[in-house]
Amino acid sequence: MDCGPDDELAEELRQSAAQLDPVPPELLQTAADAFSWRDIDSELAEMVFDSLLDSDEATLVRSSMDRRLVSFKTPELSIDVEVTSTGSGRDVMGQIVPPQRATVQVRHREGMATTDADELGRFRCGPLRAGPMSLRLIPAAGGPQPAVVTDWVSI
Amino acid sequence: MEDADIGWLVTAAADGDKAAWQALVRRFAGLIWSITRAYRLSAADAADVSQTTWLRLAEHIGKINNPDRVGAWLATAARRECLQNIRANARIVPTDDITWFDDTATGDDPTEGAVLHAEREREDAQRAKALWAAVARLPLRCRELIRILMASPPPSYAEVAAALDLPVGSIGPTRARCLQRLRGELG
Repeated sequence: MDCGPDDELAEELRQSAAQLDPVPPELLQTAADAFSWRDIDSELAEMVFDSLLDSDEATLVRSSMDRRLVSFKTPELSIDVEVTSTGSGRDVMGQIVPPQRATVQVRHREGMATTDADELGRFRCGPLRAGPMSLRLIPAAGGPQPAVVTDWVSI
Repeated sequence: MEDADIGWLVTAAADGDKAAWQALVRRFAGLIWSITRAYRLSAADAADVSQTTWLRLAEHIGKINNPDRVGAWLATAARRECLQNIRANARIVPTDDITWFDDTATGDDPTEGAVLHAEREREDAQRAKALWAAVARLPLRCRELIRILMASPPPSYAEVAAALDLPVGSIGPTRARCLQRLRGELG
């Protein structure tokens, strides 16, 4: 950035924000704590679809806003998740493709909930508190695949 | 902090260095907070967006294509989280509940001997509030840009561009125009 009156005004603005709308300390804390959730042993399933972001407005209005679809993918499998709002809580229903049994750990703000995917790859969990969520899939014993974690998504 | 230093922090954090992660948090927490405020999120929604953005970086940190530019990566992730949050709350009438100008924050209680200092602080606070109120009168695009530029430490243009999904080349001229308008508001 070049020097001059604009930079002085920008600096003054920065100071006013630091004074009137500072970063809440708990945000710094959750940011620091995020590192401990890291799972380097599992394969990452990246988010490839989110009905909230990837649908056009018209579709969004037509579909129920209480129902959200999110998909995650690794080269080997995909996980489709449907999130429904139940007041302040969230219900999560999922489907692993190709279908397979697995232990599903739902990582969220209050810790971790564990559920099982049946032989058709279906699982459900809830109600969970709204906030960030990530799934960890541990394939049933004897399965060829490593554990998988999904991207975090705020539900 | 130089870009190369930031890239080094990313690499170190990817190798498990907690202190490097902390340094990244100190460098970019202010940017993410500013982005959530530019998009007029409430404090609770801003906390969700911020936490999700950092959790996402933690899982991706070993696979960031361009570690020197992790700030832009974070800004993009935070912007997407903000949009998602806004859409999820779409049924709720958006309010300007972000306090661009909060008149309740006074409560000075200067002790003796600190009166001069307190006087000085009061003047600073008043000046800050006048500035804040003038920003609130600007068009939305300017308010968004200025709120992001207000982040401490100052964000790069690449980070601002990622936060607003605008071309990097447009940030400098828009900044100049918005600050010009702000001067007009300040009279």
